[in-house]
Amino acid sequence: MAPFGGYEMPLWYSSAKDEHLCVLTNAGLFDTSHMAAITIEGADASSLLQKCFSKDLKQCVGPLKKPLTSGLCTYGVFLNEAGHVIDDAILYKFEEKRYLCVVNAGMGEKISRHLQTHATSLSVQIRDLTDQVGKMDLQGPKSGKILQKALRNPDTVFEGMRYFSFKGTWDGTGVPSGQEVTLQDGTSILLSRSGYTGEFGFEIFCEPERTESVWNLLLEIGKEEGVIPCGLAARDSLRAGAVLPLSHQDIGGWPFLRNPWIFALPYNKNQTGFTKDFVGGESLLAIHDADYTLPFIGKDPRKVSVSENTRVLDPTDTPIGNVLTCVTDMGIGKTGEKIYSVASPDKPKDFVPKGLSCGFVKVTKALKEGDTIKLSDGRRRIPVTITYDIRPDRTARVPIRSML
Amino acid sequence: MKEISELILPEDIRYTEDHEWARQEGDTVRVGISDYAQDQLGDIVFVELPAVGDSFNKGDEFGTVESVKTVSELYMPLSGEVVAINEELADHPEYVNTDPYGKGWMIEIKPSALDEWDSLLDKDAYLKGLEE
Repeated sequence: MAPFGGYEMPLWYSSAKDEHLCVLTNAGLFDTSHMAAITIEGADASSLLQKCFSKDLKQCVGPLKKPLTSGLCTYGVFLNEAGHVIDDAILYKFEEKRYLCVVNAGMGEKISRHLQTHATSLSVQIRDLTDQVGKMDLQGPKSGKILQKALRNPDTVFEGMRYFSFKGTWDGTGVPSGQEVTLQDGTSILLSRSGYTGEFGFEIFCEPERTESVWNLLLEIGKEEGVIPCGLAARDSLRAGAVLPLSHQDIGGWPFLRNPWIFALPYNKNQTGFTKDFVGGESLLAIHDADYTLPFIGKDPRKVSVSENTRVLDPTDTPIGNVLTCVTDMGIGKTGEKIYSVASPDKPKDFVPKGLSCGFVKVTKALKEGDTIKLSDGRRRIPVTITYDIRPDRTARVPIRSML
Repeated sequence: MKEISELILPEDIRYTEDHEWARQEGDTVRVGISDYAQDQLGDIVFVELPAVGDSFNKGDEFGTVESVKTVSELYMPLSGEVVAINEELADHPEYVNTDPYGKGWMIEIKPSALDEWDSLLDKDAYLKGLEE
């Protein structure tokens, strides 16, 4: 067990390696009740979020930048006036006057207060639901099949359920008749096609008193599909391989620029400015010398310990930055020059993933894909390569009908 | 993770405070990490070992053992020369978890100072250290 954001959580239930691999080949269940949820309701709910949340809610969905409509959710960040990240979040739109915002463990109060500060003279109610919502993530290619058995109305629920959309709610209120999402034991849930592994899967919200029974129900019903409970270690290695940031580690007290997640910003068509004013936006546009946050991949599973002494060295051994995240993605391996995942449809016969170290660095030089650097923690130096993508053949966006 | 009472701690070997074990095999001494160490580290994914012929003093770092989450250094329980390394660990680092005293052995050394053996912990002393 390890302390995490004010909670005690298991690093693994059986084995971090088995849990990581199980999510890639079958399914894994993560207890994510530690995450905080906030509701934003009222006539000015949209205005407040436009002011504070990085995405332009009028143009943030898909390549055509459609507006965020009921039943859709979107990833973004809350910045301070300097353009630094306070926290990242997923925003769910129930309707124009009602949103749900899911942030990281322990951040409910901080983000609520941040929103409140910017809500003066606005007609809006902000409620911090910390510890008032149960949540768990079911992730992996078999997760849809498991939910098909666990839901009372799977066909209706899964109909047209696109990536980053959601249905239902956990307390049964405000859901039009016929739109509820109910498990076999009668539990109402909010089911969203989202997650933190990069794989096909769902986040499930329920009343806190129902959390244990929902957990047990899913593990029992999913036995045939091989679902296992997964801890923090697998959660961290899976998200890193999926190029997803950890708040306060990969994004945080520095300008939110020149990183793999600036799609969260409301850039205009030619990237010369933003489509809306928002807290932190002005500062970002004025900054022209930010560090570069880049993903890297190693040659074998070996990592460096990340501390304030860890350095990134360029090929001349000059220090050019530091390491933000360094973990081992146990689901991948290199055969010849190509990297395969255990889930790659074209993987070589008898492919057994040995694992590769991966993560993010923050450097002062504009490195590009293929550039080699060394990571040094004072004890060991490992050569790694800058890459734009880490684990291949991820399944998060696969159309739901082909996963059932 | 295991409770102290569930740990496997063979009687016929000696231990160090850093959780290595040492077993006499005729002229040489075989070295690995204890059941406690492998349980705490979790899945071992890579083991870095020295070359045959390398010499170290007692307490020197002779390699590293990599788990999914961390890297851990390995320290010599005795001074000596490395006469053999377990090459199987390159393809099967998981042997350290599944059989830490058998197939998970790491190096074999020819000790240069036999009196160092007495400073190693026996099973009871090692267990006492874990319980504290």
